[in-house]
Amino acid sequence: MDEKVGKFWDHYVTKKASRLFKDEAVLFESKAKALKIFYHLLGGEQGKELHITDKRSIKTSRTLLEKFSGTGKTFFLAWQDEKGLYLPASLAYFPSKANNEMHYYWLIAMLSTVNIKSQNISAENSNAANTLIKKYTGFKEFYTYAYSYLLNQYPELSANEASIEVSSADNYPNPLWIYPSLSSSNKLLDTGDEEEILRQNDEQSKSETLQMKKKSEQIDDKKETDGLLLFLPESILSFMEQVRVDRQENDSFDEDALYNAEDLDEITLGRKDANLHARIKMDLDISANSIEEYPLGKGHFIDEWDYKKEVYLKNYVCIRPFVSLHTEPIELPKRLQKMMRRIQSELDMMELDRLKRDNLPYGDEINIDTWIDYKGHQNRSNHPQRFFETFERKTRDMSTLILADVSLSTEAGITQELRVIDMIQDSLMVFSESLHRLQDRFAIYTFSSIKNTKVNFHIIKNFKEKYSDVIRGRIHAIKPGYYTRLGAGIRESAKILEKQQSQNKLLLILSDGKPNDVDRYDGRYGIEDTKKAIEEVKQKGITPFCITIDIDAKEYLPYLFGRNSYAVIRDAKKLPKVLPEIYMNLTK
Amino acid sequence: MSKMYYLPQGNEVELFKAAAGMNLPILIKGPTGCGKTRFIEAMGEELGREVYTVVCHDDLSAADLVGRHLIDENGTYWQDGPLTKAVRNGGICYLDEIIEARKDTTVILHSLADYRRVLPIDRTGEVIEAHPDFMLVVSYNPGYQNVLKGMKPSTKQRFISLSFDYPKAEIETKVILQESGIDHELAQKLVAIAGEIRQLSDSDIQEAVSTRLLIYAAKLIAKGFDPYQACIHSIVESLSDEEDVLEVLEKLISLHFKKSLHV
Repeated sequence: MDEKVGKFWDHYVTKKASRLFKDEAVLFESKAKALKIFYHLLGGEQGKELHITDKRSIKTSRTLLEKFSGTGKTFFLAWQDEKGLYLPASLAYFPSKANNEMHYYWLIAMLSTVNIKSQNISAENSNAANTLIKKYTGFKEFYTYAYSYLLNQYPELSANEASIEVSSADNYPNPLWIYPSLSSSNKLLDTGDEEEILRQNDEQSKSETLQMKKKSEQIDDKKETDGLLLFLPESILSFMEQVRVDRQENDSFDEDALYNAEDLDEITLGRKDANLHARIKMDLDISANSIEEYPLGKGHFIDEWDYKKEVYLKNYVCIRPFVSLHTEPIELPKRLQKMMRRIQSELDMMELDRLKRDNLPYGDEINIDTWIDYKGHQNRSNHPQRFFETFERKTRDMSTLILADVSLSTEAGITQELRVIDMIQDSLMVFSESLHRLQDRFAIYTFSSIKNTKVNFHIIKNFKEKYSDVIRGRIHAIKPGYYTRLGAGIRESAKILEKQQSQNKLLLILSDGKPNDVDRYDGRYGIEDTKKAIEEVKQKGITPFCITIDIDAKEYLPYLFGRNSYAVIRDAKKLPKVLPEIYMNLTK
Repeated sequence: MSKMYYLPQGNEVELFKAAAGMNLPILIKGPTGCGKTRFIEAMGEELGREVYTVVCHDDLSAADLVGRHLIDENGTYWQDGPLTKAVRNGGICYLDEIIEARKDTTVILHSLADYRRVLPIDRTGEVIEAHPDFMLVVSYNPGYQNVLKGMKPSTKQRFISLSFDYPKAEIETKVILQESGIDHELAQKLVAIAGEIRQLSDSDIQEAVSTRLLIYAAKLIAKGFDPYQACIHSIVESLSDEEDVLEVLEKLISLHFKKSLHV
């Protein structure tokens, strides 16, 4: 009962203290895509992503009611760093939805105008605001209204106005301003430990992602000297010793974890051994015909693009080609045969698209134009009687390289029995079958990576090999590996495609997600490197096309590939059927 | 007839004239609506040569360019195609969006585009030597490429290339003023809007706003249309069908021009 009353009181008093118009709130999520386009429109960097910001604590004077309810200490403020823009999850300062929405657009415009590096946030913000007001009548109207409204509603704000020289955000934070970045003292979590990597990935299928940028601090709880804590709760001296024991954790997924994480002011990152899941590692006697990954040479090095320094890191990534030996040749699985028959009928339709040859002395049909030519010719006896035309199969002069991402995330389940990797395998089989029947030249490679030192590049079929049961066996033997260093995979494929003689070259990338790896190849770094690799591919006269089954991927795919060079397949189960269709459309 | 209005952006006029003087063929690259066709027409007028424009498409056959036999009550007769007309009588043959034409069609241009300057017509057994005033101009939009629709390198390497882009702000403002008669400030605003929309790369919209669309907007405004509405109908709606993009473009217009509710 006590708890209920407490909750009710808390709810009541918080609501009372709040000066926001909750009913008129505009959510970031509903506007995210439009805001991103708007940011590009104002000249913002394409590689930056938009995120929800975390609240930050700011010491400021509070109203009695706020003190009473314990609110008004933390604020959601807009800011940016070189990776992205961070905006409040919802805005509700104004009594109308239209103005709250406009507030988002205003913040985006401010973000595209302010100089991130400037120290004097007050001067920088007022400069940016002035520029925007001068340029846009619409913003002038909004700002005049918003400023006077906020000043009226939040008298504390006037302190900002009084001193232009304010360099910190210690005054009441202005919702129309852009603030310095939330400094995170963390370094990249470079675990460098393969065991750890595997563990994280096993968990991937049941993890939720915290969408919010959190301030983080890494502690090292291995040091035993840190173990003794001493404090005085209500004058009773007590000792506590920190012991590294996992007490509460078990294998069940904490449903509230995401909610709790959002509520924390700061997240402390611990580091410990992967002891949650017991694992047995042992060497087995491998029988002679079991699958063997056979490395082809020691590997070679290729470059990678560092977007921050705007230079290529020369010979930075090690590509290690592999081929699977002793795979068992298989026929096209029964479950795919029905689908293949249907695709075959579509392929037959394509053959209707044949090359017409006329002016032949004999052939399939009379060409009426040629016949009229003959009739119209002055000296008919000398003119050849070539009225016939015939149709030949079009030579397409195509080379297609399929690059499939087989990172561990492809192990994720679509249904209880089906994993993404199963769908990739099925698609590769159906697709190879189709290309084989079209007599188009093709090759298949898969890749996965662990940092720049190890990008495994598996050969399933090269351009010279004939499509056969052996290739199907290799497709069947594909196993999900580690991470997705997409840029490296693309560069290596382009090198192979470049050597092909055909006039048209297509690089089909089959990936389930973002470029990412355990080192810094995550987020913007990976995206910018991949984008650079795509540009290189295009310069070589190769057409890249990406097919993905990651629905969230739509965010960055247009940036990477351009608008017409990718397809998102929402239902992974359709992949085997859709892939040949996409190919046919691409090469019609 | 009054002279066609064309404001040069760079050295394209000199280059075109020099090429015309030396009988060299020209390839023009550039986005939709940046003034390629207008430039050719203006050059035709300046040089006093007729312009034969052919808009290329998938089914454009060699006969469509060269000509064909037709039948009338007196029997069959030969009719020259636009290319043959230009080759015979002199003039500029302008093949717009050449990439859209079938590859076997573009091959007939080879003998015209190099030193030979002849057009062999198989059907009549003629080999026509090009008129001294004949000039071959082709254009294409690199943004539209499809896997199988590139320009054959052997075709590409027979042309002098000229790259076009949207005009610079001052030039575009002048063009809009000339074409529509709206006031200077308004023209500048339209150009500013276009500049912002053009910052959207091909990841957000397929093709940015052309000078042509800006002129449409300006003309509507000059006719007394409300600027906000004029921009919505001539710029925003023409650029995209996607909801998010439309919302942002509409927002941009409303930031520049006061939103009016009446249509």
